[in-house]
Amino acid sequence: MRRASQRTDEKELIRAAQRGDPDAFEQLVRSYDQNVLRMAFNLLHSEEDARDIYQEVFLRVFRNLPRFRFECSFSTWLYRIVANLCLDQIRKRKVRKESSPAVETPSGEVDRLQFIPERRADVDPQRQLMSTEVKIRINEVLDELTPRERIVFQMRHFQGMRLRAIGEALGVTEEAAKNCLFRATQKMRAALGDFV
Amino acid sequence: MTCHQVQVSLSLYLYGELDFAQEEALERHVAGCALCQRFLAREKAWHTSANSGVSDVPIDLLMQCRQELRATITQGGAKRKTNHLSWVTWAEPFGMTAGRWSVRLALASFLVFIGFTSARWFGRNGFMGSIDGGKTNNMSLLNPSSAHIRDIRPGNNHQVRILVQQVNEREVTGTPEDDSIRRLLLAAMQDTDDPGLRVDSVEVLQGQGGTDVRDALIRTVRRDPNAAVRLKALEALRQFSSDTATRDALKFVLQHDENADVRSEAIDILAPLNQKLDITPDLAATLQEIMRSEPESDYVRARCLQVLHDVNAPLNVY
Repeated sequence: MRRASQRTDEKELIRAAQRGDPDAFEQLVRSYDQNVLRMAFNLLHSEEDARDIYQEVFLRVFRNLPRFRFECSFSTWLYRIVANLCLDQIRKRKVRKESSPAVETPSGEVDRLQFIPERRADVDPQRQLMSTEVKIRINEVLDELTPRERIVFQMRHFQGMRLRAIGEALGVTEEAAKNCLFRATQKMRAALGDFV
Repeated sequence: MTCHQVQVSLSLYLYGELDFAQEEALERHVAGCALCQRFLAREKAWHTSANSGVSDVPIDLLMQCRQELRATITQGGAKRKTNHLSWVTWAEPFGMTAGRWSVRLALASFLVFIGFTSARWFGRNGFMGSIDGGKTNNMSLLNPSSAHIRDIRPGNNHQVRILVQQVNEREVTGTPEDDSIRRLLLAAMQDTDDPGLRVDSVEVLQGQGGTDVRDALIRTVRRDPNAAVRLKALEALRQFSSDTATRDALKFVLQHDENADVRSEAIDILAPLNQKLDITPDLAATLQEIMRSEPESDYVRARCLQVLHDVNAPLNVY
């Protein structure tokens, strides 16, 4: 019942935004922007790239919203844009060989995830070490996944999206999304086996 | 289902992506198969480990993105509106072209004058074209996105009576000690949509006394879905750390919060480092329980151990 009323509210909001109501557009953005930013940030591991994706996604939504005809759900449409932009970015990085988790520093190669500030990192060195090791391993295996496997795993495991929605967002069947997830989880399982 | 079939389906099972019959079959098999039970436990464990690879989005980054987007859209939107009006098209027959800045300035001033005069006129005389002698004037105030329609009743002569509830924006200023400001901040702390707002309210209320603030902070640490907001609320709760209600909430966080950083903050407030500790049997029992059940944080376990050791409490059952 609540979900149905939320859907109606969202429709109203979209229609208002299509009529040019800036408040409605802002509300619409706020309903999704945390998830969009989290997804981009976790996929690309870069605040700058995540910020670019955020801007590009919502600017595309803004520009194309008047042409949105409710043929699919708004979230499907939105995540299709997010997925395409993130996939492009991951592929670009692969081409530029930026995808390596390691970066050069004066003291040698260091994992780029170590540059992501960790909250309360000063509290427990052992905990930090373990957490960093897990993050490094996750990053390594994510890097070994194909861009599509990576995005499917991100959407299912971290964003909690259903396979059907993931398939719709990526323009593939639910079965194809399921196969991607299966391959991704097999690789993750093998990589994280030592930590469990 | 065979063991192999079960083992390859475990991830999909944990994601809830198996259909009902497959799920039933898998559960039946696992219930009677020790090997698959071990595989399931392992599967759950790596799923949990993988969660530690997810980074929370810094709230500052979210705020920054929103501001940038708003700025870009305001500029772009203004441009789009100008194009849409295409004043040049209808001004050209009057000999005005876009090339001359003086003409643009004159036209802009004229439009401002028209806008100002008509706004004043409508303000006094009602909306032009109102079929019921100005009764629908208030429509100009309605914002469809913030208006909630409560009731619609068709009337005579094509009239419709719509009961609309609308939230109007206004700016309020004052100090956090002002009652009205305080109430607004407490309400914002429970805002379900925007973690940035919740963090800001907690930050402003930090250092404010009163059970209303304490209770709101307790609600936040217990229920807020965002770990960053819970952490902020825990910081603000430090000043109330001797209250029983606060200590109960901290124990709850220690036992139930899914985020290891939040649990670490809670143990630091409950049993501050290098301070004389006043540990009740109840708290000792909680710490013992956490020693047994803490899933991932060595820090929390180590601190529990240290506290129990400091008060000479046994490590198993109190």
